[in-house]
Amino acid sequence: MRWLLGVLAAGVLSAQVKLPAFTRQTLSNGATVILMPRRELPLVTVNVTVRGGAESDPDGMGGLASVTAELLRRGAGNRSAARFAEDLDALGATFLSQVSQQATTVSLEFLEKDAEAALSLLGEALTTPQFPEDEVKKAIAQRADSVRGSKDNPMMSTGIYYRAFYYPQGHPYARPLNGDEASLAGIGRKDAAAYHARHYVGRNISVAVAGSFEVPKLMPLLAKALGGLPAGAAYAWRRAAGAPALTAPRLLLVDKPDATQTYFYIGQPGIDHNHPDRAALSIVNTVFGGRFTSILNDELRVNTGLTYGANSTVERDRLTGSIYIATFTRTATTAQAIDKALELLRKLASAGLNTEQLASAKAYIKGTYPTDRLETSDQLVNLVQELALFEQNRGEVDDLFSRLDAVTLEQANAAARRFYGSPNLVFVLVGNAAEIRPQVKKWAADVVEIPVSRPGFDAR
Amino acid sequence: MRLGLGLWFAAALGAQNLEVRAHTLANGMRVLIHEDHDIPNVALYLFFKVGARNERPGTTGLSHFFEHMMFNGAKKYGPKQFDIQMEKNGGRNNGYTTSDVTVYTDFFPRTALDLMFDMEADRIRDLAFDPKIIESERGVVHSERRLSVDNNNMGALHEQVNAVAFTAHPYGNSVVGWPSDIEGWSLEDLKSHFRMGYAPNNCVLVVAGAVSEAEILALAKKYLEPIPRQEPPPPVRTREPEQRGERRLTIEKPAELPLLMVGYHVPEAAHADTPAIAVMNALLTQGRSSRLQSRLIERDQLALTVTGRSQPGFDPGLMVIIAQPRAGVDPARTEAALHEETGRLGAAEPGEDELRRARNQLIAAHYRGLKTIAGKANTIGGYEVFSGGYQKLAAYEAEIAAVTPAEIRRVAGKYLARRNRTVGTLLPEKKEAAR
Repeated sequence: MRWLLGVLAAGVLSAQVKLPAFTRQTLSNGATVILMPRRELPLVTVNVTVRGGAESDPDGMGGLASVTAELLRRGAGNRSAARFAEDLDALGATFLSQVSQQATTVSLEFLEKDAEAALSLLGEALTTPQFPEDEVKKAIAQRADSVRGSKDNPMMSTGIYYRAFYYPQGHPYARPLNGDEASLAGIGRKDAAAYHARHYVGRNISVAVAGSFEVPKLMPLLAKALGGLPAGAAYAWRRAAGAPALTAPRLLLVDKPDATQTYFYIGQPGIDHNHPDRAALSIVNTVFGGRFTSILNDELRVNTGLTYGANSTVERDRLTGSIYIATFTRTATTAQAIDKALELLRKLASAGLNTEQLASAKAYIKGTYPTDRLETSDQLVNLVQELALFEQNRGEVDDLFSRLDAVTLEQANAAARRFYGSPNLVFVLVGNAAEIRPQVKKWAADVVEIPVSRPGFDAR
Repeated sequence: MRLGLGLWFAAALGAQNLEVRAHTLANGMRVLIHEDHDIPNVALYLFFKVGARNERPGTTGLSHFFEHMMFNGAKKYGPKQFDIQMEKNGGRNNGYTTSDVTVYTDFFPRTALDLMFDMEADRIRDLAFDPKIIESERGVVHSERRLSVDNNNMGALHEQVNAVAFTAHPYGNSVVGWPSDIEGWSLEDLKSHFRMGYAPNNCVLVVAGAVSEAEILALAKKYLEPIPRQEPPPPVRTREPEQRGERRLTIEKPAELPLLMVGYHVPEAAHADTPAIAVMNALLTQGRSSRLQSRLIERDQLALTVTGRSQPGFDPGLMVIIAQPRAGVDPARTEAALHEETGRLGAAEPGEDELRRARNQLIAAHYRGLKTIAGKANTIGGYEVFSGGYQKLAAYEAEIAAVTPAEIRRVAGKYLARRNRTVGTLLPEKKEAAR
């Protein structure tokens, strides 16, 4: 029995997972429609991706894409915000909007039998938002309070401080996705309406639907809901900026006097979304800080008990991003934890991985990929939209396992040397400055300190 | 109307009744199996019926500490091996602890099934207690406490509201543990807690995913059945005495925004009022059209967020409503509007439209919880442990659909009453200083 099982098992392990079949169509206004019918639960997920995202926020108006997306449901067609909420809740449907560095995503999930009513809500929100003055004021005031509130939770705010400090002034990724007190104060009804008119157009949107539906029934409903958008023009991406030139280590200290632990990020230049080293880097980062047994977590958590968790992230956006370590430790062990993290970085860049680590990371990525990306309809629409947004084909998924298998130890270690060995690191610490301040000069001569109560996230 | 509603949901979703195969091993361990071959992966959940309610002063947080210690080495698979073996075979794990249960969750490709059963059996039977590892893990847990309680306003206030709401029952215990207990528990405390909680007869195993009933049963018999049964934890005798008046507490600390939390005593999960309380909670807090969201957030602009939650429990527990007052708004105004709305629900029956919105959202959310094999395993296990059997899962829609306007009024009047509530407020300290 075990032997038989073993044979079966080997068959499954070597199999490459595939993206389920989907079709692509175009509405008369140029909007792309991707359809992936699959019978599981009688739920349907629609994901509308609008190109631009935070990158398209005008200078000084960080958060405009995000505010516009929030306002879509607050008065649309003949429905007031309250009426829209009632009609949506009556279906038990969900309507969410989210902004990334390069896109706004509006997602709707509903029961198969409610397709007509749900898609009509979506259509009104996307094509005829009214931007009522009182709702605009309310949404912006709520957003500003949220920004303040996020500073009560350093787990949330440290990353926003980090991006504002890591990226040079004027870089689109330096701005908080949801804006800050100053940028939000400058946004009005006209700005949101203009943003909508410019970006929510046929040639700039892609619609993906997965779940329980029949294509011939769904297509007319989609055409009716979204066909009313003008064709317009696709968003013109900003010219690719290279990695920021880091010429010396820099450090930002955010003083939160009541903090009993220090939250910190340590960053250096990384890659853009389609970088040729992405497979090698995903393996290296898995070993270094991408899972529980990673080098970082093993040392900072398991061996020393300095933290509840330590990890490393490779940003994967359209423009070149960063690779950063993120963790936290009690105030008294701040220096010990940072020094340890730096030591591990140096060791990774110089010694690299061994064959066992390489094989284990490959197996881990392959084993977790199906539950991370291919299990639910919402994961699948996200994935096909990501392929479309970054102009990749389905081979990105279908050949993933063989591309991982092809990465040699030499290639992985070349990536480790190239991407984890920068001498000019960027540090961001949120914690009790009175306790930490005396130590920070050892990591960077260029130190900036601000109080957490200061509005916004930009220290410059 | 009620019946019709139930039927169309049944028509839409009823086919989704999860097929579960149930077995009981000779040592008393329950094994529940659900086959789902969409992806070649498996979710394996172990529910141990031991949590913070089984702890006493001096040892609070031990159940949660065990959630950590179970990954730190046993007899065959030594320190770190559980994670190393699991990850190199393409799997990962997690766990969670509540007042009632400690749950271990494994996610892995089906190719790792044999290994997972071997490793689970090893740690349930022969967990190791290395003093050095215990000290290191103590630091990890304390860091988790600082993250989720001491430096998190929501966590800090929730811990205090629980502690004040329960005067006798151990639901007042901090689940992660009071700081002095985290620092103080001894090797002997750990060993006796392990003996008490980790009996196979105190455990429900749920496997969902790309498996067959026969292979899971064979693996369970081979690896888990030989583990001897033991005495389960002693029954928790204490019943919380009836609350006879509002209780209030405040936390003052540096913060950007205040926070308001109101706890109401509600019955245990298996109680007949549970569906009506769930609908009442949804009617108050779920969706932007719900009473508290539409009034506090949208109309009066007194709050930034409003949420409501209640966790299933073996014993009568707490339903909690949380509101984050807007900047510059006196939290007392937010609180007054909240009480006005809960009072209104106890005074008059809700309309049928409104009730339908609440029911539909709950039922849709229930099915959203079944989108993944992890969600299925967690839901099946939760019903088996708290609601008197996994079979009750199939009745969820009908139970929710059967809740009447009169029942909502009755449970709101009974449980949301002033004398039954504990009000916690977190006030930003700097605001006080500025006055």
